[in-house]
Amino acid sequence: MYQCKDISDEVNNYIDGDLPLPKRIGLFFHLLMCSCCRNYLQQIHSTISIVTVAKPKEQDGTDINALAKQLHTLWQNEDNNQKSH
Amino acid sequence: MKFFSKKNKNDETQLIKQLIAGDEHAFQKVVSDNHNSMLSVARAIVGDAFSDEVVQDAWISAIKALPNFEGRSSFKTWLLHIVSNGAKTRIRRENRIFSLDDGWESETSDKFDHTGHRYDDILPWENATPEAILANDQLQSVIEQTFQQLPAMQRAVLTMYDMKGTGMDEICNILSISSSNVRVLLHRARSTLHHKIEQYQQSEK
Repeated sequence: MYQCKDISDEVNNYIDGDLPLPKRIGLFFHLLMCSCCRNYLQQIHSTISIVTVAKPKEQDGTDINALAKQLHTLWQNEDNNQKSH
Repeated sequence: MKFFSKKNKNDETQLIKQLIAGDEHAFQKVVSDNHNSMLSVARAIVGDAFSDEVVQDAWISAIKALPNFEGRSSFKTWLLHIVSNGAKTRIRRENRIFSLDDGWESETSDKFDHTGHRYDDILPWENATPEAILANDQLQSVIEQTFQQLPAMQRAVLTMYDMKGTGMDEICNILSISSSNVRVLLHRARSTLHHKIEQYQQSEK
């Protein structure tokens, strides 16, 4: 019989479908009976949706426009070299 | 499971044609869409000290290899493989090992009684839709700060799996770790973010 602690440990594997069927069914039955764990599952679902939408980023001081221009110039030079050979 | 849709494939084929034709806007788009996740992978493997250099080298290698891109994986995954290979070569050269993870607090065991049941009630979150979060600068900032404090491996896994839709097998290849390790890192990253959002929700009541 699965408990709240098992839901806490396996919630992400449950959401991502990475559990063997018997365990998945066991956790599902616990969720049917336990409103706390249903709310916890809903909160983790929300966390994933929030991260997907908020898209937090690595701290980075790169000038993206300058880098893109630099790579564009590099590609033009490469392309010209390939055509001249 | 993540899927690479036919529409995405067509968009990507078009984008690569534009790159090969030397379209400057296509270069802007590709760099802007992929630089941050490449940096995330480099930091996870090689750490902060060499990550900028590794990503810079990866971009140059990718541009030079552009005509060889065969579309066997998505373009973003191809870029992540290039940066990952560069980072692994660099870490071998520096004779260093990268740690899988550090700094992790699971849900504390004092939340559960000896039978594994929760002591406290958990209530549904109010106003926790992504749209409401985005309208809330303070919470947005909590998410940003929490993300930046996660260990680099957790950030890389979260970025690839939840934000970029990279498949589990690809992540294992890119980071050279097992799928069970990827799952553990993902669980830790999401749990930390959940914990901070929960704290914020409670402080607002």
